[in-house]
Amino acid sequence: MSAVIEIAGLRKTFRTLRHGRRVAVDDFHMLVEAGQVHGFLGPNGSGKTTTLRALLGLVRPDAGQMHVLGARSPERLPDVAGRVGAIVESPQFFGNFTAHRTLRLLALAGGVPTSRVDEVLEQVGLRDRGEERVKGYSLGMKQRLAVASALLKRPELLILDEPANGLDPAGIREMRDLTRALAASGVTVLLSSHILAEIQLICDHVTIVSRGRRVAYGRVDEVLAGFDQHQWRVRVAEPEPAALLLGRAGLSVAGHADHLVVTGVEDPEVISRTLGEQGMWVRELVPLRPDLESVFLELTGGDEHVAVPRQVDGAPAYDGVIDLDVRGSREVDA
Amino acid sequence: MNLVRAELERLAARRFVQLMVVLLAVAFAVTVVTTLGGSHRPTEVELSRAQSQAADEVRRLELAHDRCLRIKAGTLTPDENDYLPRDCAQIDPAQSEQLPTASDYLSGVFVFAKEAKPLLYFLIAFLALFGFLVGASYIGADLNSGGVVNLLLWRPRRPTVFAAKLGTLLGGLLGLSVLASVAYLGAFWLIGQASGLTGRMSGEFWAGLGAVWARGVVLVLLAAALGFAVATLGRHTSAALGTVAAYVVVWELGARLVFQILQVGRPDRFMLSSYLGAWLAGQVRFWDDNACSTGISGFCDGSYTVGWPAGLVVLVGLTAALVAAAFAVFRRRDLI
Repeated sequence: MSAVIEIAGLRKTFRTLRHGRRVAVDDFHMLVEAGQVHGFLGPNGSGKTTTLRALLGLVRPDAGQMHVLGARSPERLPDVAGRVGAIVESPQFFGNFTAHRTLRLLALAGGVPTSRVDEVLEQVGLRDRGEERVKGYSLGMKQRLAVASALLKRPELLILDEPANGLDPAGIREMRDLTRALAASGVTVLLSSHILAEIQLICDHVTIVSRGRRVAYGRVDEVLAGFDQHQWRVRVAEPEPAALLLGRAGLSVAGHADHLVVTGVEDPEVISRTLGEQGMWVRELVPLRPDLESVFLELTGGDEHVAVPRQVDGAPAYDGVIDLDVRGSREVDA
Repeated sequence: MNLVRAELERLAARRFVQLMVVLLAVAFAVTVVTTLGGSHRPTEVELSRAQSQAADEVRRLELAHDRCLRIKAGTLTPDENDYLPRDCAQIDPAQSEQLPTASDYLSGVFVFAKEAKPLLYFLIAFLALFGFLVGASYIGADLNSGGVVNLLLWRPRRPTVFAAKLGTLLGGLLGLSVLASVAYLGAFWLIGQASGLTGRMSGEFWAGLGAVWARGVVLVLLAAALGFAVATLGRHTSAALGTVAAYVVVWELGARLVFQILQVGRPDRFMLSSYLGAWLAGQVRFWDDNACSTGISGFCDGSYTVGWPAGLVVLVGLTAALVAAAFAVFRRRDLI
């Protein structure tokens, strides 16, 4: 498969008089191949939006190379801009313009037939509200309008930064269906989101970023497999003797209030046989597979529950408790 | 071309632009209606009386000039009412730029030839303000609201976007200025025709009016470019407004006061308003308080002039420098 987005060694530092120098992205790498629905995950302030803005020529990187659809960005970006639809964060529109006029002006500026406007309004569910002023729109409707603006060009690559922002559950579902339909039609989608369950449902590949650096990437199932500790939840009538028995059999067991968690067992038969041979019958044996949320929280240091709120830049709540060393990125290649 | 069309439509659809155009139309309508209400076509009697008053005044001026010559020649003793300039040519009616005419003595009669210039200055002032505010808000609001980011996602060529926006602004403003000027002066000319007098509209009159108009339109365009550039640099419409307010308070008022205290010679040379006036009026004369204050006996002319070429150089230079700076910043700026 050909690379649609390639980022190598991206670095971006912001300098302000008030806050001095802040590294937003540091030695960041990313690869999105044609046809992928690629999730881009990271905590607030981890550098996702900066990366997307750099990729789209909106901020100037300090170092690194980026290619979009084979064209070097930002130098050759104009050559492929007509094939890239993007929304970055929550785009703002003029409140006094109607959605129809907003899209028509963008279409006009971009040399897209204005007949596309009605099509994309229909596609994002704004057909009947297209002649209303944007200032009367809810956050979710504005988000739909933003997605419509990205779809106007019939893009080969769609970059969506938090597209589900402000959408109600039905809207999120529609957005998911829309993304899937676009992917099925051959559009490569890069989706940045905080809704991890959504990413897990929609995306086939993922890149996870923390404090400006990539900490994991690859196929979603393989990234998850990389974090699979082969854990099982076991319920028995008498947990304590069962735990002793499993421990004696060389298994790693953790006791909880009403169940046990056995770690490092690939075949669950070992558990049921060990207990069964001593007349202890298993009532429940459930695999504890990692989900994207647990992987994300583990990688980005958000899985520690502490009294001090985590800071958006990923700074630890207090020293010595949360390990945020992300220099050794965990790579699970497809 | 598509980009310019889209930008032109976006500019015309902006609420602020529409509001300013409505304000211009209202101001225009009020002026026309009040002028129309306060003017009437002079009767034959009014006209002949005014003509005779004008002729009397010309005769009085000729007599004063004649007396001046005779006093200077020593053939006549001056009395206390005589005004004696250094050179009697200064009060020679034959050399006067504007002799009294009948229209000067017509009360309640709108005379187009007499009023056209002040009316045009009013229009230019309005359009310059309009240009500055629209120029500033056009880019300022776009930068602030993310409109520029949206556009750059479609056209990721910053120089093109900058040029298209500025070009659209100036082109649109030029079109509006031409239309407004024609409508405005045309309406007052019609009032002169129908309910007043058109006055003496010689080639010289039209040339003078045309020159003021041309200089005014250049000023309107410069004001718009200036507002656009400062708002681009400050990323916000209010940056342009704040800069102008700060300049007026700190420099035009504050520094002028300091110059006065320090007795700096010809302080008006350092004020933008001097060059603005010089450009619009063709020339402005200032008086230097310090020129004749030390050890000069006899006649001392402490005045000095600033002409329109100097005005043009300063205004264009300043605007060009700010537009160039805005362009450079816009090209490199991180849009976050």
